[in-house]
Amino acid sequence: MRSVLKTDVVIIGGGISGISTAFWLIKRGIKNVVVVEKAYIGSGSTFKCATGIRASFTSEEHVVLMRESINLWKALSQELGFSYMRGGYVWLLSNEDQLKAFRELSRIHNSFGVPTRIISVEDVEKLVSKIDTRSILCALYDPLAGKADPFEALYSMAGFLRSAGVRILQQVEATRILQNGPQVVGVETTKGIIQGPIVVVAAGYETRGLVKTVDVDLPLKNVPHHAVITEAYKRAFDPLLVDAASGSYLVQTFHGGFIMGTEIEEREEAQPTPRVDFLYKVASVWIKYLPWLRNVNFLRYWVGYYVMSPDNHPIIGPLPEIDGLYVAAGFSGHGFMMGPIVGKILAEWIIDGKPSIPQAARLSYKRIEEGKLIHEKAVIG
Amino acid sequence: MRKRANPIIVCRCEDVTLDEVEKILEKGYRDLESIKRLLRVGMGPCQGRTCIPLLIRLLARRLKKDPEELLIPPSRPPLTPIPIRLFVEDEKRAED
Repeated sequence: MRSVLKTDVVIIGGGISGISTAFWLIKRGIKNVVVVEKAYIGSGSTFKCATGIRASFTSEEHVVLMRESINLWKALSQELGFSYMRGGYVWLLSNEDQLKAFRELSRIHNSFGVPTRIISVEDVEKLVSKIDTRSILCALYDPLAGKADPFEALYSMAGFLRSAGVRILQQVEATRILQNGPQVVGVETTKGIIQGPIVVVAAGYETRGLVKTVDVDLPLKNVPHHAVITEAYKRAFDPLLVDAASGSYLVQTFHGGFIMGTEIEEREEAQPTPRVDFLYKVASVWIKYLPWLRNVNFLRYWVGYYVMSPDNHPIIGPLPEIDGLYVAAGFSGHGFMMGPIVGKILAEWIIDGKPSIPQAARLSYKRIEEGKLIHEKAVIG
Repeated sequence: MRKRANPIIVCRCEDVTLDEVEKILEKGYRDLESIKRLLRVGMGPCQGRTCIPLLIRLLARRLKKDPEELLIPPSRPPLTPIPIRLFVEDEKRAED
């Protein structure tokens, strides 16, 4: 049986971007919001992320927006009571060329108010107990960066939404965006039609396919990325570590497990499939720095997508072709950390017609149509 | 909610009790993927070998749902926890 539900805003995707958008719409006084999630909230990329949050990027847009997102992470964690900490990022540098490149990056970060700095081997040893520093020259330290628990963060935001009367429909899949001429009028789902004059597509790796139903082809590509977690141990150190040479990271979660990832060659649109060569590579990188990992057990291994845009920046904002249709996608591996500010930006696009941060306005689909790409180089893992 | 004198443990790795599961059900969660992440059932060293089948039976009966509607978490590799040293070539040769 087909049913029809009427609302003001339909959000497709119950991940951090969609839930955060609903959160900010409610905060701004919009009352009727429905979130449609095809499986369970967080089931796309949010719950597969590595939990890190940083502003040490290479473009003004990313640095400024992530800095704002970090401010919101702190405020939200206090308001909603989830685990978040500014434990920092330590980018381990092993040669003069890397040092030169990261000095330049630090200058960019500093110019936008992100206080990264080059630190000595001794400083690294103070921040990261029992690290073997023989192969490193120094490091870039980003004290503003940190980590949050994605489960606690999303569930507490969803709890807030439910008590504010937002309907989060799980195991309901959006199949088509509905339009009447140039105006969006709702969403067709596996459980019936949801009518609404505003539709937000924040559906991660499904975004491209959904937006194609209104004949707009977003240049987004899904690339598998791999992560593995160990059994839980007592707190060892706070910062997230990055090996700059191999693009690998390691972070201890609040629960105690160490999550690790590294770059391995993957084909666009490949099925996310575990690969034993990933485990060999990630193990060899991190045992070199943390020899005690030898005796730690790998517990669980998963593969998720980075939804890559042509310039490694997300597409956030209205689609000019269709009135009332907004997207937030293509985060290129940074959707979780950016989540809080993304919801705020979308709420501003919807309510005010433009975002309050000028750098955010530059990330709309217009830049893609006009060919004004903004490149980001610091993509890891 | 009923109070038990002796808690019934559902997940031994993460010490999750039946009462905690029932509390989550009262909050409106209806699938195992969410219950797993809210309570950490099935996320310990045994990877859900005991607790997930228990919960499938409990929830299927309680909610009158087919097991597949409960979103059963996939089995992720490795099948059992394995020491990281086995993935470092030199050390593996030394152990062989």
